[in-house]
Amino acid sequence: MKKGCIALLVALVFVVGSFSTATAKFPTKPIKLIVYTKPGGAIDVFARKFTGIAAKYTDATFVVVNKSGAGGIVAIKHILSEKADGYNFAAVTRSNVGKIVSTGNEINVEDLDWMALMVSDPEAIITSRLLPVNTWEQIVADAKEKDGNQIWVGPAAGGNDHIMAMKTWNAAGIKAKWIPYASGGKAMAALLGGHGVVYVGNPQDVIGRPDLKVAVISSPERLGGDFADVPTFKEVGIEGLDNEILWRGFMAKKGMPEEAKAFYHDLFDKVNNDAEWQEYVQRGGAVPLFDKEEKFLATVKKDQEEFGAALKQIGAIK
Amino acid sequence: MELVESFTIGFSVILGWKPLLIIVTGVIFGILAGAMPGLSPSTAVALLVPFSYTMSPALALILLTSIYIASNYGGSITAVLINTPGTPSAAVTAMDGYPLTQQGKAGKGLGTALVASTIGGAVGVLILILFAVPLARVALKFSPADYCALALFGLATVASMSRGNVIKSMVAILFGLLIKTIGTDPISGVSRFTFGNDMLYDGFTLIPALIGLFAISVVFSKFETWTGVGRVMDKIDNKLPSMQEFLKIKYTILRSSIIGTIIGIFPGAGATIAAFISYDMSKRASKEPEKFGHGSLEGVAAAESANSSSVGGALVPLLALGIPGSATDAVLLGAFMLHDLVPGPMLFQDNPEIVYGIFSALIVANIVMLFLGLYGNRLFIKVVSVPEAIMYPVILAIAIIGSFAVNGSMFDVAACIGFGVVGWFFKRYGFPVAPVVLGIVLGKMVEENFRRAVMMDGYGVFYRDKLAFIVLLIAFFSFVWPLYKAWRHHRQPATSGNDEAKI
Repeated sequence: MKKGCIALLVALVFVVGSFSTATAKFPTKPIKLIVYTKPGGAIDVFARKFTGIAAKYTDATFVVVNKSGAGGIVAIKHILSEKADGYNFAAVTRSNVGKIVSTGNEINVEDLDWMALMVSDPEAIITSRLLPVNTWEQIVADAKEKDGNQIWVGPAAGGNDHIMAMKTWNAAGIKAKWIPYASGGKAMAALLGGHGVVYVGNPQDVIGRPDLKVAVISSPERLGGDFADVPTFKEVGIEGLDNEILWRGFMAKKGMPEEAKAFYHDLFDKVNNDAEWQEYVQRGGAVPLFDKEEKFLATVKKDQEEFGAALKQIGAIK
Repeated sequence: MELVESFTIGFSVILGWKPLLIIVTGVIFGILAGAMPGLSPSTAVALLVPFSYTMSPALALILLTSIYIASNYGGSITAVLINTPGTPSAAVTAMDGYPLTQQGKAGKGLGTALVASTIGGAVGVLILILFAVPLARVALKFSPADYCALALFGLATVASMSRGNVIKSMVAILFGLLIKTIGTDPISGVSRFTFGNDMLYDGFTLIPALIGLFAISVVFSKFETWTGVGRVMDKIDNKLPSMQEFLKIKYTILRSSIIGTIIGIFPGAGATIAAFISYDMSKRASKEPEKFGHGSLEGVAAAESANSSSVGGALVPLLALGIPGSATDAVLLGAFMLHDLVPGPMLFQDNPEIVYGIFSALIVANIVMLFLGLYGNRLFIKVVSVPEAIMYPVILAIAIIGSFAVNGSMFDVAACIGFGVVGWFFKRYGFPVAPVVLGIVLGKMVEENFRRAVMMDGYGVFYRDKLAFIVLLIAFFSFVWPLYKAWRHHRQPATSGNDEAKI
């Protein structure tokens, strides 16, 4: 009996051992996931959610490492300084691309492996229910009345949301002022206090804040759930703002080995189809997806051009 | 009563060995992290966010808020004992706390800081519990012009901080403001004075600058006058302040606690500004203003009760509206999100056990902090009887580790040493360093809000906005009045007492 047990154990060890060497040469040690903010930032939460759900599908150990500074430049340079062995990858957002452009950095996006674009978060025009102006029609009427003095608030000048605001003004033929705040939270405080009329952000910003509402959403179709009654730009008669998004995803240094590539590809695919992940992403009004290398890189390049043009227009870069 | 009912829920969350153990752990970690230069409250909380991921949401937030409140007190320990503020706001505590240690009265300094922190923390939490929602609404009404005026009022406190030489304090504060111009322009996004260095896009980080100015500068000064023997302090007295001494400062503690809470409520103000302003107010209200800066118990009490009470204040906008009021709040917001919770009005309805669990935990954490502090002080105080030959190298080592810990960047270490050299020069030639911190902390707040106010409504806003106008007037007079008094003082040299004192 005892002998049988031992034999069984030995056999088991062999089976498990051969299994792991045959199918998964990667990873053989913990993988570092670099996050460009301090713990507790929005992208940090995204990364940790990802590792939590990834644990269902792989035994690999992920260590989240926070490398904050310069809006992500520090983290990207860190990735570029490490070996392309697949053991370092980073969480990225569209804002990082903007930062590369605005700081005039020599980082070449072609040196990076744009592994997966996992979340597409539509841009949203957000207003306060406490103010008399809170629907799209009211915003436009108020802007025309104030003739360029209507105040829009949001995070950093030259960022995603600022550029979204400029595009919206152009498309709607209105003029307004952009007053930037140090963070989205502070800008929302300004909207709640009535110091601005519009805040530009993403649908998740209004969750848990009943005084805020999404007036218009940049999406080809209406969102579901809590946002079912929010009109899209097309519905309010504005063309060309159907797919303005803040994406989130993962990238690494270009040139990782094939087995690492296969491992990640498989993992991203599984997480993207995971019910818990989909629920987490959709609750914030965003869309889960899995855009792979070439498609992701094309998005990044398009964003780079758009940031370049917009930042020139506001005079932040030459 | 609804409140009683809610607290029954709240306390039921925290009663049990596990939550209580978590509170005690949080308080101990908070005190130690606060005392460690480099681990500011926000970093201390951030360090344990990943750790709390696996806990239940209520326990995780209880742990993090216990750390938050205790770390604001912890900063005072090193500030009093070795003139090295563990947290930015403790820079104000050091102004009177360290002179007390030099006079051999470290026990009184630590004791006052502890009691003031406990009472301040309790007042802040009480105001949070009772008035969170209406207060948060009022705070939101403040316009950029009002914030600018408030920040200028903060800068004006420099006049009362200077002991004698006003010009030197002005130089110090201007240096701080100058440092703050480095980095990305907060309004236009253009890089300023970064010389293409990635590390400068966010400007100099406050913590390494603070450690350099306070801690490393002391080490350099000591090396300069090195004798090779001696202890940091020959006579130390761990006697706590007497009951009588406490009764004398009770109004200072109460007033500073209220000031601290109110300033804490404004998103973007925070513990450091609260400490500076209440120090200034207490000096004005004091019967012995001449003692400030020379080991006044009132000075220590004002700074510590204000920075601890600001914790309760800062949680007001976070819990009531989901708007982070301080750097630590921003980290807490992330912790909420990790557990799929969104702080704000809905949280009170949907998860009262979390909100009232936090409230109850904050009350308990304050009490735990008092007892741990009373016991700990007897240990901490031994630090100053260490031989100098050990003490100063250890301070240097801790300073370097601390500045590295902030971002894990060697650039910060270099910046810390650079600021150490600056601080050493400052001390050598009699310039105070605390105003530099004031300049760094408030520079951005003044600039951002001034520009926002002008962009929104033009320059006239500072006159049209009545609140901003009144605060600006108060700031102006609070700046000019001490200067006028000093000027009169100089005209009558017969009464000259303790001005021109060395820092």
